[in-house]
Amino acid sequence: METTMRQLLTTGSAIALAGCLVATATPALAKDITIQMAAPDWGPTRFMQEYANKTYKSPTGNNVTLAIDFIPWPSFYERVAASMASGEEKYQLVVSDSQWIGTFIEGGQFLKLNEYIDADPELASILQDVHPALTEAYATYPYKSDNIYGFPQMPDTKVTAYRTDLFCNEGEAAAFKAKFDKKLPCTYEDWESVDWDTWANIGEFFMRKAGDELAGETLTEDFFGIAFQAGKGYDFSSGQINAFIWQNGASIWDESDQPNAQAVGVVNSDKAVEGFQNYLDLLQYSPPVWKTGQMDIFQINDLYLQGKIAAIINWNALTAAAIDPDVSTVSDKTAYALPPGTVDENGDLVRWDNIGGQPFVLTTWNSDEVVQEALNVVKWWLTEDTQAAFAFNGGTAALQSVMNAPGYNEFKPWNRAHVELLPWQRDFWHVPEFFELLTQQQEEFDKAITGQKTAKEAMDSIAEFQQELLTEAGRIE
Amino acid sequence: MTNFLQWLMDPKRRGALLVTPAIVLLFVMNIFPLMWSFGLSFFHYKASSMKPPRFAGLYYYEKVLSDPVVWERFQTTAVIVTASVLMQMVIGFGLALLFAKKFPLRREIMMLVLTPMMLSFVAVGVFFKLFYEPTFGLLSQAMMYFTGEPFGLLATQAGAIFGIVFADAWMWSPFVMLLVLAGLVSVPDYLYEAAEVDRATPWQRFKTVTFPYVKGLLLLALLFRTIETFKLFDVVYIITNGGPGTSTETIAVYVYRVAFQFFKTSQSSALSYILLFVVIVLTNLYLYFVNRREREA
Amino acid sequence: MFATKKKNRALREAGWGRTLVAGFIGLIYFSPVLWIVMTAFKTRQDALATPPKLFFEPTLDNFVRVFYRVTTDGDQLSTGMGLYFFNSIFIAGAGVLLAVVIGTLAAYGFSRYPLRGNDTYLFVILTTRMLPPIVVIVPIFLMFRVTGLSGGYIGIILLYAMFNLAFSVWMMKSFFDELSADVEDAARLDGANDLAVFFKICLPQLKAGLAATVVFALILTWNEFLFALLLTGSDTRTVPVAMARAMGGQLGVDWGLLAAIITLFLVPVFAVTYMLQNHLLRGVTFGTVKK
Repeated sequence: METTMRQLLTTGSAIALAGCLVATATPALAKDITIQMAAPDWGPTRFMQEYANKTYKSPTGNNVTLAIDFIPWPSFYERVAASMASGEEKYQLVVSDSQWIGTFIEGGQFLKLNEYIDADPELASILQDVHPALTEAYATYPYKSDNIYGFPQMPDTKVTAYRTDLFCNEGEAAAFKAKFDKKLPCTYEDWESVDWDTWANIGEFFMRKAGDELAGETLTEDFFGIAFQAGKGYDFSSGQINAFIWQNGASIWDESDQPNAQAVGVVNSDKAVEGFQNYLDLLQYSPPVWKTGQMDIFQINDLYLQGKIAAIINWNALTAAAIDPDVSTVSDKTAYALPPGTVDENGDLVRWDNIGGQPFVLTTWNSDEVVQEALNVVKWWLTEDTQAAFAFNGGTAALQSVMNAPGYNEFKPWNRAHVELLPWQRDFWHVPEFFELLTQQQEEFDKAITGQKTAKEAMDSIAEFQQELLTEAGRIE
Repeated sequence: MTNFLQWLMDPKRRGALLVTPAIVLLFVMNIFPLMWSFGLSFFHYKASSMKPPRFAGLYYYEKVLSDPVVWERFQTTAVIVTASVLMQMVIGFGLALLFAKKFPLRREIMMLVLTPMMLSFVAVGVFFKLFYEPTFGLLSQAMMYFTGEPFGLLATQAGAIFGIVFADAWMWSPFVMLLVLAGLVSVPDYLYEAAEVDRATPWQRFKTVTFPYVKGLLLLALLFRTIETFKLFDVVYIITNGGPGTSTETIAVYVYRVAFQFFKTSQSSALSYILLFVVIVLTNLYLYFVNRREREA
Repeated sequence: MFATKKKNRALREAGWGRTLVAGFIGLIYFSPVLWIVMTAFKTRQDALATPPKLFFEPTLDNFVRVFYRVTTDGDQLSTGMGLYFFNSIFIAGAGVLLAVVIGTLAAYGFSRYPLRGNDTYLFVILTTRMLPPIVVIVPIFLMFRVTGLSGGYIGIILLYAMFNLAFSVWMMKSFFDELSADVEDAARLDGANDLAVFFKICLPQLKAGLAATVVFALILTWNEFLFALLLTGSDTRTVPVAMARAMGGQLGVDWGLLAAIITLFLVPVFAVTYMLQNHLLRGVTFGTVKK
């Protein structure tokens, strides 16, 4: 199976090589153009730089260099925001969390792309091939409108990483069966039917104290069942809580229905509160750091990589480290699966979740020629061969043609879950008030997580705050 | 040209000439931007947007002063500043007494104590967060040795405040130590000798000889550390991110959120000026005490 | 004469007993730093091991990773950290130097040629040091946007110079105040001009003061993060900003790498402080002690 992906890779490189030869053959009037891109400093963007250095030749014959300014993740937003607001006009391309785009579209820094797409059939066909869930979440403003602002750089979803040595252990499976009368999920297919109740059972089941047995061995230290994000920083709890709200049939404030959509009564509906309560009830099976309200996406990864948790739900980009023997103590006994879902009133398992990852966007201060060259970089990034190489080196593809290619699912152990999850993805608000909405919500969620408030009190406070803020901003009438 | 040089070098203008570069630099880099932001606090303005400012009068001052969140943040800040500065003073004073006498290897051992001050806030924040982590952290590991249960210091408001205060005090007590030490070494020898002749107890000697010499420096340390701790940002942001809930959201963290995450430039400017006012009041309180001390002396 | 000196020594000196006590306390105080330095030599698994590992097989891998990273193809690429170390040293060095030069001139002026409203100027200068940097972030940010200073060396150096100016002026003024003006006047009578007086008479007596000013300004500047983050570009970035690289990639905090950067970054400021340590006691007092 893998050969098919390999073939895709090799033909791709051959085409790229051929492209180089053609490009070098037309040196007349070649200009030197540098496309500066602001990007977080991590694997998916480093790969982009390295691969561009090796393969990228602009089809126009200009000498185009892609120069990525690698900015450390913890200060990425601040740096980009400073650059955008200061008018330094340094970057032609910017990697942006999808939630930020509203701020900089309204600020006049991010370029609307519809007319360029309409004028360029090649670009239009690429956009046809990009998974629609990604385009909607990453590129539309107002959210779910037809205005397109960006393209996927690193698509990401939350997957489950679990310990095969525990979940596929016969003794543990028998004990689990005896206790809950359910099958302890071992294979990918087993996990497909796991709902949050079973996830709770798993959590309870694998909570072990030092001295207890685990998969036939005596533990010298405490062991924990399950973990997902529950941290106060950035969106490190909302990203998971939204999934519980959506799966429970409730919703967040719907920005695509302005100014009619309300916050009070929607955000704090009984269904939403119940969903949040379900989330809170699961925390007791996590390592004790959840009690501090600091169990963020990095914390759960650290704990899992050190072999202290049976299963976690986390971003693909992060859980990938679990199979890297250099950093993970459980690299040879980790497998990936779908995260649990909720059984809705029709008896179907729903898996709505909050999308992760980032699009990259164009800025507004460039000449037509530079815009054209930036778009050529976009087209290069979204060619099948680049995307295949990206997927081969730890990224995830954005093109349906690549993700549907035979062998893609087996290419990396998380790919199958990731592809299946894409249609279930929704996003945060894209409005410029995003950060205020998020910060207050994170504070209230954190109060509920650390036991200062009940789920209901927290949700009421969030709804009230949003109603007031969004009314003041003219988004609710 | 020569005339101008002669005019410039005239001894009458010597003072102004020498001082001018400093004043120019301060004006360009500090006073001018301050006035600018002071002005902005009276306008509707968002730095992220290209819209021109609109006059708003005192709107943002009213808004900030009537905002219960701001008062809550000020209270949290006051608690952290008081606790941290107090701890720095006590530890710093103790360390200074320890290093007041000469002893072999004093230079080397003092470097051990001075090093925390040279670390970045980020380093202190990240590693203290790790020390406090209930599963991996050294603190929890040590507590488990006694109680058998993991310990999450940051789970309660009191614990989280203590965690921040402890890290900050650890980092900056050496600064207090240096100030106090400078006072201690300046006590003239004859005073100690006189105290010895009078057979004064160590406590009496401390009270009548040592303390008067370090009192002024202690106040100076108090002033500097209060002002610095008011600015405390990175350590809080990294260790607790203001949590649990909003238990440790300091005013500096709040200003940062308003200015850079919400991009409410006018509001953050107004808030900054209220903060500045508080700092100036504190400064003057200090100066009042110092002057009173000088009058008494 | 000799007797008193001996007595003084007894009063002022403690023996090895104090060394033991201070050494013990010093080590406890130093232990978090020691832990960071030890982490720099640990693998990721060892860094997070429970129970914590005091003894482990040290690795230099983290230090290599400070400067080089391996691409997906297995090539070694520079991380640019060498440049960032240079930037840190250059920017902090130039900022401190500028502040000390301008500050010393101003201090000489304030001390020898008092202006009308001398004390007011001095207070205003001191006030700038008392402002929380968060107050000036927004306007400085906007000013850099207009003047185009953002991203280059000059802007950030001037900014750091400004930060250290208040400190330099106040400290150097206290040193000048203590110098007797008689010597200078005598030199002038001998025909020395003002420049010669300043450079040949005053400055040589102020070596200690200058050293102390430099060390304190350096400690306060070395780790500055927020302005460096917002106002430097990719070529002028300093280490505190680049350090964050080890804190948020696919691994969250890359403990060993972060500890290695912290350890290396500690070395220059530690060395400077150690060399000039004797002057420090004098330095922090702002001259209040002997007044």
